[in-house]
Amino acid sequence: MDQELRITAEPVDNHRCKFVVSQPLHAAGVRRFASAAEAKGSPLAEAIFAIPAGGVTEVIVSGNIVTVVKDNPAPWQMVGKAVGVAIRAAAASGAPPVATKTAPPAGAPATVDDDALYERVARLFDEQVNPMVARHGGRVELIDVQDAVVMLRMGGGCQGCGMADVTLRQGIEGMLSQHIPEVRGIVDITDHTSGANPYFQASKK
Amino acid sequence: MPRLLLLLPSTTYRTTAFVEAARRIGAELTVASERPSTLEAANPAGLLTLDFQHPERAAVEAETFAREYPIDAVVGVDDDSAVVAAAVAERLRLKGNPLAAAVAARDKHRQRQLLAAAQVPVPGSALHRLDTDPLELAKQVVYPCVLKPLRLSASRGVIRADSPTAFVAAHARLSSILAGCDTEFLVEDFVPGYEVALEGLLVNRRLHVLALFDKPDPLDGPFFEETIYVTPSQVPAGLQTAIAQCAERASRALGLMEGPVHAELRYNERGPWLIELAARPIGGRCSAVLRFGEGVSLEELILRHALGMPIPSLVREAVAAGVMMIPIPGAGVLREVRGVVESKAVPLIEDVQITAHPGERLVPFPEGSRYPGFIFARGGRGATPGAVEAALRDAHRRLTFVLE
Repeated sequence: MDQELRITAEPVDNHRCKFVVSQPLHAAGVRRFASAAEAKGSPLAEAIFAIPAGGVTEVIVSGNIVTVVKDNPAPWQMVGKAVGVAIRAAAASGAPPVATKTAPPAGAPATVDDDALYERVARLFDEQVNPMVARHGGRVELIDVQDAVVMLRMGGGCQGCGMADVTLRQGIEGMLSQHIPEVRGIVDITDHTSGANPYFQASKK
Repeated sequence: MPRLLLLLPSTTYRTTAFVEAARRIGAELTVASERPSTLEAANPAGLLTLDFQHPERAAVEAETFAREYPIDAVVGVDDDSAVVAAAVAERLRLKGNPLAAAVAARDKHRQRQLLAAAQVPVPGSALHRLDTDPLELAKQVVYPCVLKPLRLSASRGVIRADSPTAFVAAHARLSSILAGCDTEFLVEDFVPGYEVALEGLLVNRRLHVLALFDKPDPLDGPFFEETIYVTPSQVPAGLQTAIAQCAERASRALGLMEGPVHAELRYNERGPWLIELAARPIGGRCSAVLRFGEGVSLEELILRHALGMPIPSLVREAVAAGVMMIPIPGAGVLREVRGVVESKAVPLIEDVQITAHPGERLVPFPEGSRYPGFIFARGGRGATPGAVEAALRDAHRRLTFVLE
């Protein structure tokens, strides 16, 4: 299985990179880890946080996509290869690379109510965002909300669109901060290289 | 926070690089495009539509916008938006280039005139109407020559002709490419020589050379598809200085004052020749190979300069780096690209980005100009520019484009 595994890295910039894997790593929704402590029990996330001098601050695993955020500005060349090694090792081990999220123990101190946020974000997407992006044949799917961070996937004309980052950062993020200020961040887990019908296509020098 | 007006054409490759750079430096960002975002009404401070075809009209629109949302800097990212940025900067009295200078940099004929008048070495050239009888023109020109559109980018439509017969054929192709969008074209002398690309930043008219790229593949025509850029250049130091001086003289001759400059130059036994100079950064996704100081991107550096923020360093990191604009593999509909993983596994290869999407029709030069992707390489300690170039070629060999 290990030899057949294909991993494609899609750096967003020197701090954020998506790794698209040829097989699902975590079919049960999305898991986000904001620290090595949170990653305990999830071998893939543990291994990525443990990359020496990697500066990893966040790991998000959804289906066949692993998004890694790091705080150092070095190019992804070295850390990216180490992430690839971690993904291959996790996939080859036979154990679930990522543990299913467990509910907080009863009586635990209340933090952010992700479920309530999910409902509000979903309503915003249904009522405002999607009717707007649909004019360009696009759609935005809410995947999950974890620790007040929204994870979404873009489809249709938005997937692979040259202006997807503008839609994300200037449009959706702005709407979220205006209507649901409790949202702390937004993560795009779209595989933009697979977009077959992007609305705007880069072509100029 | 200072507000940055970023002019992003909807077809640019550079959206993510510039948007993420603006976020990193903490600027309040307004993105303006020539076509409206579907979310513009939801974020009127962050999204704007401007008429990129009419820069002065766009400047008036930007001025209206700025009354409600004051703008501290304006940045364009390609030839057209650089002209709009200049118009906006003039109107709002922001740092930038004079509009006339930006227009001259975009118009290849005007550029040739100004540079020749300032005795900057440029190919001899003449402006012709497309509807002039090509058989008559073919008798007048000196061979080899190059037929060139006035405003297309990425060498689209640029064709070398070595004989009257080749001239007439090239004229027919160029006429087809320019049908409905231009009525004139340039015929210029073909200047033999080794080509380099200079990336620079103008600060108060002074040119700071950020990188000098070698172009190891000869660009002798008949078409001029770019492939590999590698830096640092292996050109002798004295000649590098002459190249930089030539580019700076050209910038001054055009009247450019501030911001990014990308210049293509050739050199031969007569010294450097300015082939083209643009008031914008390097095209495509090529800037991804450039890092300055402790990892600052070219885009961040450009935005910091525009906003008057401190620039940590203008010195590129001390490693060899290179990029290949993947040659268009042929005409047809792209079905699949094989070998990406194998290509990425080549030592020194940092990334392979396929930007063409499945189902896209690929059109070779000179009619087309959209590269199907980019390969990036960066050397570690001791890796030479030659090793980076070899890695790029090795990685490219491992790719297979399946066309229908």
